[in-house]
Amino acid sequence: MARRKMICSRCGGEMNHHADKLVYSTEKSVVAKKELSLGGLIEETHNCPGCGAIASRVAE
Amino acid sequence: MTHCRPLSIPVILGTTRKGRMSAHAARFMAEQIEKRQGVSTELIDISKLPMPADDAGDGIKDAAFAEKMTMADALVIVTPEYNHSFPGLLKHILDSCLKEYIHKAAGIVGVSAGPFGGVRVIQDFLPVIRELGLVNIFWDVNFGNVASVFDESGKLLDQAFVKRADKFLDELVWMAKTLRYGRDHIALGD
Repeated sequence: MARRKMICSRCGGEMNHHADKLVYSTEKSVVAKKELSLGGLIEETHNCPGCGAIASRVAE
Repeated sequence: MTHCRPLSIPVILGTTRKGRMSAHAARFMAEQIEKRQGVSTELIDISKLPMPADDAGDGIKDAAFAEKMTMADALVIVTPEYNHSFPGLLKHILDSCLKEYIHKAAGIVGVSAGPFGGVRVIQDFLPVIRELGLVNIFWDVNFGNVASVFDESGKLLDQAFVKRADKFLDELVWMAKTLRYGRDHIALGD
């Protein structure tokens, strides 16, 4: 579960966190944030029920 | 508010080759979608998209294409079968987005000059669809012997494809509605 709700940058509505994607990368910025037990970092995907916008962020 | 927006189901024409018969199939599928209430569509021709070859993924993301994928609820991907697989440029374009696809429906339309109607390209495409986060339906449309399905102007010569496309779209629309509800209302881990 997301730590806090994301707010839609288009309509200001509360977004729904509906997916986590495991991302593998060799980039240093990504490697630094990786979840050791999974071997990559988790990118959260959020959807706005109001306007359909999509946002993502790296999970903490 | 969720149901105020019509479903958006763009059709992606996945080849840039000259003389492509897949263009007829893509236009036909877009016309079938346009007949449906509450659904909007657009034909996206990948040959019209900027496609730098000196980078990939996020590095070549086109803002207009990404916006269309953001607002899409489902995709109809029309792909020819080239040497048993899909065109590399189609994958190059699809790989430029990721979060835009997650938990959205996809249906594949296979096109081939021979009799198999793209069944091999569709099987080859499924792992890609899955990794992009798309949810593939279990109906396909297979345009085999495509030169006998459309004339040179793109006129449909075999009316059986109207019924086949209709069944494919029934399933795709159901999946698109279901996944939109999930994206909007069902939180991960709930």
